[in-house]
Amino acid sequence: MIPSDQFVRFYNEVFKFLEAQGGTALADYYRIVSGQQEMHCLELFKTQGLAGMKAYWDRIAVEENCDMQGTLYADRYELVMSRCPSLSKALDNDAGAFPRYCDHCPGWIIPLLEKAGYSCEYDIIDRTVPRCRMVIYPAGPDRPSRVQVSGKKPE
Amino acid sequence: MSLRYREAGELHKDFHGSMNAAVEYVGSRYGREGLRQVFKSTAQRVYRSIYEKLKTGDWSELVEHWRYFMTREGADYTLEVSERNVVLTVKVCPAVAHLRKLGLKPSAFFCDQTVLLNEAWCDGTPFEAVTELTGEGSCVQIIRKRPTFNAQGYGK
Repeated sequence: MIPSDQFVRFYNEVFKFLEAQGGTALADYYRIVSGQQEMHCLELFKTQGLAGMKAYWDRIAVEENCDMQGTLYADRYELVMSRCPSLSKALDNDAGAFPRYCDHCPGWIIPLLEKAGYSCEYDIIDRTVPRCRMVIYPAGPDRPSRVQVSGKKPE
Repeated sequence: MSLRYREAGELHKDFHGSMNAAVEYVGSRYGREGLRQVFKSTAQRVYRSIYEKLKTGDWSELVEHWRYFMTREGADYTLEVSERNVVLTVKVCPAVAHLRKLGLKPSAFFCDQTVLLNEAWCDGTPFEAVTELTGEGSCVQIIRKRPTFNAQGYGK
């Protein structure tokens, strides 16, 4: 059994393997992960909206030992991750981190949010630093989901 | 005894559900050979310190890893170490128990995380792994010295 604490280091090896297969293997996998995550989130996000997202990520912050702040506003939910335990473990790893390890997060989150009727601006910030930021809004034609790697320094 | 990875704090057991989806995805598309590659890199590169010790005939870090994480996950298990064998008997696997709690059916490849990981840990070492699945959520894992091990080579 791979301990749940160490799943992400295995995940990191899965990403490397799928990347080596070429084609859409890795992108297809993100969609499978997104579908699997629906059991935890989709109904909650559809019925409770932004407040449901705060409840979900508040639970994740505790269970995964994250240093993060989730803030609920009238029109959006903002999550600021100051120390991501997932990338931290992928980096603290004798096998080395998959260079695009962070991409799996928007890879599963955005399809699920869009299915629930929301859009997401996801800033990975820097793929070698365990910080990121995402802002979630009710979907609208003027606000498509997007992913960026801004390189912003900590405030 | 030091472990290369020794997490503390809260547990996010839903990762066992993520593991179920991962092995199903890789196993159904790339077969057991695909899974074997992923678990080989996990056993020998992620868990390099365990593997390097096994190559020298030292199973101490593997034993400590099993003891620490089986206890941390709340497994019902016994671990017996003798001169020639380490026997981990898992009566209630916490990973399978959590899948049940989530209402998930274990993938046909779910226990390969144990079978193929143990196999890869023993590859090229003085040990061999025997993993017997004794039921859904129970197994016996044995790491034993190869009978023909000698100082010149392994498993001749």
